[in-house]
Amino acid sequence: MPKRLEMIVNLLGILLLSGEAAFAKATTGEIQSPTEAWNHTWDDVLWDLWIIGGVFTIVAVYLLIRYRARSPGAVGTARPLNLDMALAWALVPAAIFMADDFFLAAKGWSLWNIQRQVPRDAMEVKVTGYQWYFEYDYGNGITDSELVVPVGRPIVLRMTSKDVIHSFGLTEYRLKEDMMPGRVTYLWFYPEKPLETQVVCVEFCGTSHAEMYNKVRAVPKAEYDAWLSKKLERKKKAELRKSQAADDGANVEPAQ
Amino acid sequence: MTTATEFAPAPRRSGIKEWIFTTDHKRIGILYLVGAMAAFVVAGIMGLGIRIEQMSPGESGLINYFVGDFAQTMTTGAAYNAALYFHGAAMILAFLIPALTGFAANYLVPLMIGAPDVAFPRINALSLWLFYAAILVALLTFVIPDKPDIMWTGYPPYSITTSANTAFYVFTVHLIGFASILGAVNFLITIIYMRAPGMGWNKMNMFVWTTFGAFVIQIVFVPVLAAAVTLLLLDKYVGTGFFDPTRGGDVLLYQNLFWFYSHPAVYVIFLPAIGLLFDIIATQAKNYIFNYKAAVYGGILGIVVITGEVWVHHLYIAGMPNWISIGMMVTTLLISVPVGLILISLWGTLYKGAITYNVSMWYAVVCLFLILAGGLTGIPLAITSLTVHLSETSFVHAHFHFIMGLMATFAVFAAVYHWFPKMTGRSADIPIAKIAFWFTVIGSQVTFLPLFLIGIKGMPRRYWDYAMFPEFEPYHLIATFGSALVAVGVTLMIVGWIYAAFRGPKVSTNPWNSKSLEWTHTESPPGPGNFQRPVRVDESWTPYNYN
Amino acid sequence: MQQVVQGEARATHEHHWEVSWAPMAVAFGVMFLIPLAFSAYFVYQRPLLAIICAGIGTPLVLAGVAKWIHEGATQHSAISNVSPVGIGVFIIGEILIFLGLFASYWTMRISSGAAGELWPPAGTPHINLVLPLFMTGLLVASSFTYHYGEHKLNDGRKGWFLVWLLVSIILGAGFLACTAYEYVHLFAEGFVPGTNQYSAAFYSLTGFHGAHVLVGLLAFAAILFGMIVGNVNKMFVKVAGIYWHFVDVIWLFVASQVYYW
Ligand code: HEA
Ligand code: HEA
Ligand code: CUA
Ligand SMILES: [Cu+2]
Repeated sequence: MPKRLEMIVNLLGILLLSGEAAFAKATTGEIQSPTEAWNHTWDDVLWDLWIIGGVFTIVAVYLLIRYRARSPGAVGTARPLNLDMALAWALVPAAIFMADDFFLAAKGWSLWNIQRQVPRDAMEVKVTGYQWYFEYDYGNGITDSELVVPVGRPIVLRMTSKDVIHSFGLTEYRLKEDMMPGRVTYLWFYPEKPLETQVVCVEFCGTSHAEMYNKVRAVPKAEYDAWLSKKLERKKKAELRKSQAADDGANVEPAQ
Repeated sequence: MTTATEFAPAPRRSGIKEWIFTTDHKRIGILYLVGAMAAFVVAGIMGLGIRIEQMSPGESGLINYFVGDFAQTMTTGAAYNAALYFHGAAMILAFLIPALTGFAANYLVPLMIGAPDVAFPRINALSLWLFYAAILVALLTFVIPDKPDIMWTGYPPYSITTSANTAFYVFTVHLIGFASILGAVNFLITIIYMRAPGMGWNKMNMFVWTTFGAFVIQIVFVPVLAAAVTLLLLDKYVGTGFFDPTRGGDVLLYQNLFWFYSHPAVYVIFLPAIGLLFDIIATQAKNYIFNYKAAVYGGILGIVVITGEVWVHHLYIAGMPNWISIGMMVTTLLISVPVGLILISLWGTLYKGAITYNVSMWYAVVCLFLILAGGLTGIPLAITSLTVHLSETSFVHAHFHFIMGLMATFAVFAAVYHWFPKMTGRSADIPIAKIAFWFTVIGSQVTFLPLFLIGIKGMPRRYWDYAMFPEFEPYHLIATFGSALVAVGVTLMIVGWIYAAFRGPKVSTNPWNSKSLEWTHTESPPGPGNFQRPVRVDESWTPYNYN
Repeated sequence: MQQVVQGEARATHEHHWEVSWAPMAVAFGVMFLIPLAFSAYFVYQRPLLAIICAGIGTPLVLAGVAKWIHEGATQHSAISNVSPVGIGVFIIGEILIFLGLFASYWTMRISSGAAGELWPPAGTPHINLVLPLFMTGLLVASSFTYHYGEHKLNDGRKGWFLVWLLVSIILGAGFLACTAYEYVHLFAEGFVPGTNQYSAAFYSLTGFHGAHVLVGLLAFAAILFGMIVGNVNKMFVKVAGIYWHFVDVIWLFVASQVYYW
């Protein structure tokens, strides 16, 4: 293939994948919790839907009762619409529906911006999905099977999977994102107060899909630090033991 | 305008051979209905199994019996997944699509347009038997040890790495897909070329128009699904690496190809279902279709045009680039415009009508409300950011069970009741049908309303155990109770149909006093060739011209 | 346009139920031949079972097709003259299958390009780029010869049609022979579908196209057979021709994308 063509193709590919980068850039200022924002948007949208549904329901009930046949053999008395009426009955509703759609889309988009733009000072945890558990990597080689985070700080999860597709479902925080082999995805949340909840796997991943969950604990900063140092210590001890074992030349089982 | 001589008499004698080797569209239609209902019953029984297993957290192990594992050799999870796979795949591919584009289209379209048959009767029979072959392949699920457990979506890499039999899934899709493509060729040509003289495009029954739209969608999108699952098959059994990241493939490629078809597929279901409702309601209300052209050119064709540009709304949480997600959020939301136009016509058809109610009309009325419940709950799902929480929860299940499992399914039931006199010469509107109606309608609400509630609270999909959410148990319990009511209703309904087909009260050729050709110009049931003499419609004729 | 065909549609009114066992035989034959035989061989590694399934399927399909063609030649259909449009609609579907396959191939290419990887990936042997040119020549030529033959048929010169049909069949068979030759060599060099991304795309696209050539050739064979027993269905000749031209055009895309990009 000619070099130039190749370059164009590559550029195209980069362009296609770069939408992400534009969004993922950090923002400054007040941190808006995606969880709160979700709840608000949901309430607004729900109102919208109840109104539309309500209008249609009431009209339907009215028509169904009002226009029952009064005698056997009765026929309807409507006439086909003339052109003006037909156009009006098409364009006016279409405009109204469209307006509502754009209203909903705008609402959705602003929430999406919150969900996808990670605040600058977010703490990062790497998550890997396996059949059928999640593994958390806190940096410094500390890994654990539960997610513990300090409150008051945005947390960003960089996620991937080692086998099939899983999905990281933080029900309580109104968030989820798939974890795929060969790709890294992200998700951020903002634990504002201490909370013990759970993450569930929400993408079908096989027999034990329904049993793939673990605790997610948002704890005060001090408690988090204590937890972290304990982890660090344990890890050091394990390393020490390992090196000792290596010195002794004995075949000791690796510490957990 | 109608005289008895115009009715084509059915030949008296007609044996088994005239049924199973038939190339007649009416008989093919009925055979489609039989196959589709068989799939519905088996898949429905799987649905009951699912509900029983979900009744409480933890494993009951009862689900194993449902998938034919009487020795309890499978784990509960494996058995549940096999049942859910079959339920989803069969309900969509082997029940609804064949019931609408197979049974209803076959039986009604040639009659409604005044044609003696479809354009290619043998190809029509080929479609039918390919569909039966697909059902047979799908049913093999219950006898093989490695039952497919990949869900109707069949996402790789799981579908590649699982030890279960992915091939049967792929071939079920292939056979039904090929049947659909041939069906599309047949019906598009039939509708374009075989309308009775005088029947312009603006005089066709709404059902004919919706069928036309559905088959345009089929011919364009089914092939892409066929390509996608073929590559899946190659990946798993021949060792290529299209979708497997360990071999350089891309997991999202399959999802995009799959939804590129499977989103439009929902309108392949939605459109004919709506078309049936239009014809039933217009007949029972003895009225014009309100703003016919808006419904056809804005509504049906609008959906056909938009449907190909929205598939990413199934991938909002899959890490697609933002501009695609946002773009397709807007297109998805815009589908409410054509659907809204269709609904205005549907509602308007009642306006100034003279409505008579029978079981068929009851189902149609219930459908009106189900469209609202099912369609409007699609809106939050269409909004990318709300879907981040709602996706993969029972909320999605409730959404599509309302619009598809209930609305479209009830539209099929309504159609069977409405055209039963045409198919058999007898009425199915008998007391047992009314009892069945109440069981089914009430039971279905009891089953699926709780799913909305726990969906909003985050009950994940495809869970046979929910130990982490013990608070949802009461809801599941209620839902399971509801599904038992549905089962009673469905059983009574089917028993009623079978009874009515042989013993039901005989009725005249046009019991609803319809103006549509299938009622005014044919006998019940119509004979070979449908019409005694060529049908010709005059200037003032429309199928909805009652006054 | 509907009026043109109306009269004919009406004339065919029947007073008995039309029956044909051909469609059922083909459908269940296909079921044995592809899903069941494939599963027996690839999923359950039971070659014997696979052979049995294929052994049931093949005669069913052949018998069904033969019966079908026989009926097609001797009976009228509900409406005539629309088969060319029918095959046109069918071809829209076919184009989309190919588009699906191409889309997968393009995604591979673009993402591997974006990731800065080598293309074609490691493990790809040297691919002969002259052979596909020759194959293109064969296929394009066959389109012309068939078209020419159709002209002869329309002029009523069946003998010449037979000749040109035979030439087209030979050209098409030559094309398949080249494919077979190419596959055998590539396999011998260890280039199998599972080798790398390129091999996956290569075999799926050329293989799928080759299957279409095969179907076209079978249709030609059916026409040939019909000629020999003495009936020609002009409509079928035309439809097979349209299909063949389509297979020809698609090849240009397959070849340019797979070999020369
Ligand atoms: C017949 C089947 C059918 C139909 C018609 C629809 C119709 C719609 N569906 Fe649904 N859907 C499914 C079947 C169907 N769906 C299935 C099976 C799934 C799950 C697949 C799986 O994962 O297994 C699914 C999943 C699904 C998702 C993905 C959820 C997820 O997995 O995360 C989304 C997201 O956008 C969605 C949206 C919609 C929308 C916007 C419509 C719209 O067409 C609805 C339009 C209707 C209305 C809006 C109501 C009436 C209109 C008015 C009253 C006018 C005024 C209204 C407004 C201005 C808002 N559906
Ligand atoms: C047309 C589509 C359709 C229909 C009609 C239904 C009908 C039903 N579905 Fe459906 N369902 C789907 C399509 C459909 N479903 C799809 C696509 C999925 C997603 C799968 C996936 O996630 O991949 C799904 C998933 C799904 C789940 C989610 C499981 C999970 O997430 O873990 C549940 C759970 O409640 C469920 C329940 C039911 C029930 C109780 C019915 C009931 O309405 C069924 C009623 C029918 C019967 C009860 C049969 C009655 C017959 C008899 C009792 C025998 C009588 C015999 C004679 C008379 C001869 N379904
Ligand atoms: Cu992991 Cu589901
Ligand atoms: Cu969709």
